[in-house]
Amino acid sequence: MNSEHEPRIVAFLCKWCSSAGSDMAGVSRLEYPPNVIPITVMCSGSVSPLYILSAFNLGADGVLVSGCHPGDCHYIKGNMYARRRMALLKELLPYIGLEPERFQMSWVSAAEGLKFTQIIKEFVEQLKPLGPQTQLRRYL
Amino acid sequence: MVDLERIKDEARRLLKEGEVRGVIGYVQGPKGVWAVPALIQNPDDVDRLIWNPTCIHNLSLFVVEEKKDQARQKEPDKRPLAVVVKGCDSRAINVLLQEKFIEREEVILLGISCENSGVVDQKKLVSLLHGQKIEDIVYGDNGHIVVAINGERRVFAPDEVLADRCLECRANFPVISDYFFGEKIERESAPSFTQVEEIEKMRLEERRRFWEKEMARCLRCYACRSVCPMCYCAECVVDPISFAVEPTTSAEEKAKKIKWIEKSPLLSENFVYHLVRAIHLAGRCVDCGECERVCPEGIPIRLLNKKLEREALRLFNYVAGMDSQAPSLFSTFKETDPEDFIR
Ligand code: SF4
Ligand code: SF4
Ligand code: FES
Repeated sequence: MNSEHEPRIVAFLCKWCSSAGSDMAGVSRLEYPPNVIPITVMCSGSVSPLYILSAFNLGADGVLVSGCHPGDCHYIKGNMYARRRMALLKELLPYIGLEPERFQMSWVSAAEGLKFTQIIKEFVEQLKPLGPQTQLRRYL
Repeated sequence: MVDLERIKDEARRLLKEGEVRGVIGYVQGPKGVWAVPALIQNPDDVDRLIWNPTCIHNLSLFVVEEKKDQARQKEPDKRPLAVVVKGCDSRAINVLLQEKFIEREEVILLGISCENSGVVDQKKLVSLLHGQKIEDIVYGDNGHIVVAINGERRVFAPDEVLADRCLECRANFPVISDYFFGEKIERESAPSFTQVEEIEKMRLEERRRFWEKEMARCLRCYACRSVCPMCYCAECVVDPISFAVEPTTSAEEKAKKIKWIEKSPLLSENFVYHLVRAIHLAGRCVDCGECERVCPEGIPIRLLNKKLEREALRLFNYVAGMDSQAPSLFSTFKETDPEDFIR
C-alpha cells in the first residue's frame, strides 16, 4: 500500500519569490508531480508554525515553506525571522515522532523554476515510502 | 539563610506606607504544611507570610491575573504590587517585562534566593514518606530539607526530594529584584537536558509511541495553560472565544469561523495542542515546572518545553528570562543563524 501512496504536500510559498518561482516552472513547461497544494503567502515570515501544524492536522503528508533567498526578501528580513522559527519546529516535530522528511524549508527565487521542480520531485520521492501521515491527522 | 522576619518587615512597611496595593506571597494552606499563594492587603496579615520548601507556585502568574483584573476595573488602584519571587519566578517577570505585558513600575520584587536548595516535589516526598502526614518542613543546612513527622525529624538531601527543575536550575536566585533575601549562592546543578537526550536516543517509532501514550491521556482541561504565567493571551488558538457563535451568527459566518483544532481530546488534536503550546512558549518558558505539576494526568509536559529550551540555547545561544532588555528569541535573528536544514 505504501508504494501506492500518493503524498499530498501543502506548500506555503511567498508571493514575491517562491510562488513566482513555481509560476516560472509552469511557464517554462517544466514538469513536476501534481502532489502539491500551493498556498501563496505574502512572505515566509508570515507563516506561523500553527499553519504547518494545521496543514498536517488536515491531512498533509508533507509541508513545505519556501521563501526568498537571504537578502532578497521583499520585506527585507521576513525570511530571517522565519528561519529561526522553522528551525525550532524542525527540531520539535521529530522529537514527538514525526518523520523529519515531512517538514521542509527552501529558498526559491522567482527565476528558480527548475529548483522548485526538483525540490518537489525529491520531496514526493522521500514521502512515498513513508506512507500517509497519521500522527497529527484529524479523525482516524 | 533567608530571614523571613526581614521579608515581613519590608512587606509590612510597603503596605503601611501605601507604596503597594498588595503583597503576593506564600501563606500556609488549608492542607497541612503546604504553602499556597495569597494576596495580602492588610499590614496586620503580613505575619501570615511563610517561606519554606513548599513555596512551589510561580507567583508571577498572579501578577498576570491582577493585570487582567485591573483592565476590567473602572478605576483601578495604580499602585504597584509587591511580589515574592524565587529565581524561576523572577525570570518569568523578566519575560513579562521583555514582552511589555507589564511595566517595571507595576511590581516591587521581593526576591528570595533558593541558596543551595530549592522547592520540593510533592510526589517525591509523599512516596518517600509513604504518605505519612508531614507536620513541618523547613530548610536545614547545605540545602537539606528537614521534615517533622510523628514528632520525629527526618533530613533529606536536596537530590532526594527537590523538584527536578530545581536540581537542574542554573540561576537559583532572582535575576531581577528590588529587595534580595538570602545569599546568592552559585551551586552545582544537575545537567539540564538528560531527560530530553534520553528521548532523542529512542528510535523514531519509539518516540512516537512514547508520546502517543502520554498524549492519549490528556483531558484538555487546560490546567497547564491556566497555570502558566506566559500563557496570558486573551485568546488562545485552541479555543478561540472571539469566534464564539452568537444567536445572530449566520450559518455562513459559522462556516467561515476558523477552528484550528478540534476541542475534543482526540489523539491528533492533543498532539497539535501540545505542539502549539510548546512552540508558543519557546524562548519564553522559564522552566518553573508549574504546567507539569498541575497536570492531573501526570503528562511530562516539561519534556516538550525543555526540548525547545535546549534548541534555543544550542542554535541561538538564547536563555529565557535572563534579561528584560534583550530582544526576545523570535523578535530578532542573526545573519549566522543555522540554515543547514533549508534547501
Ligand atoms: S494539564 Fe494535563 S490533562 Fe490538562 S490539558 Fe494540560 S496536559 Fe492535558
Ligand atoms: S510552560 Fe510550564 S514550566 Fe514553562 S513557564 Fe509555563 S508553567 Fe512554567
Ligand atoms: S517576501 Fe519572500 S520571504 Fe519575505
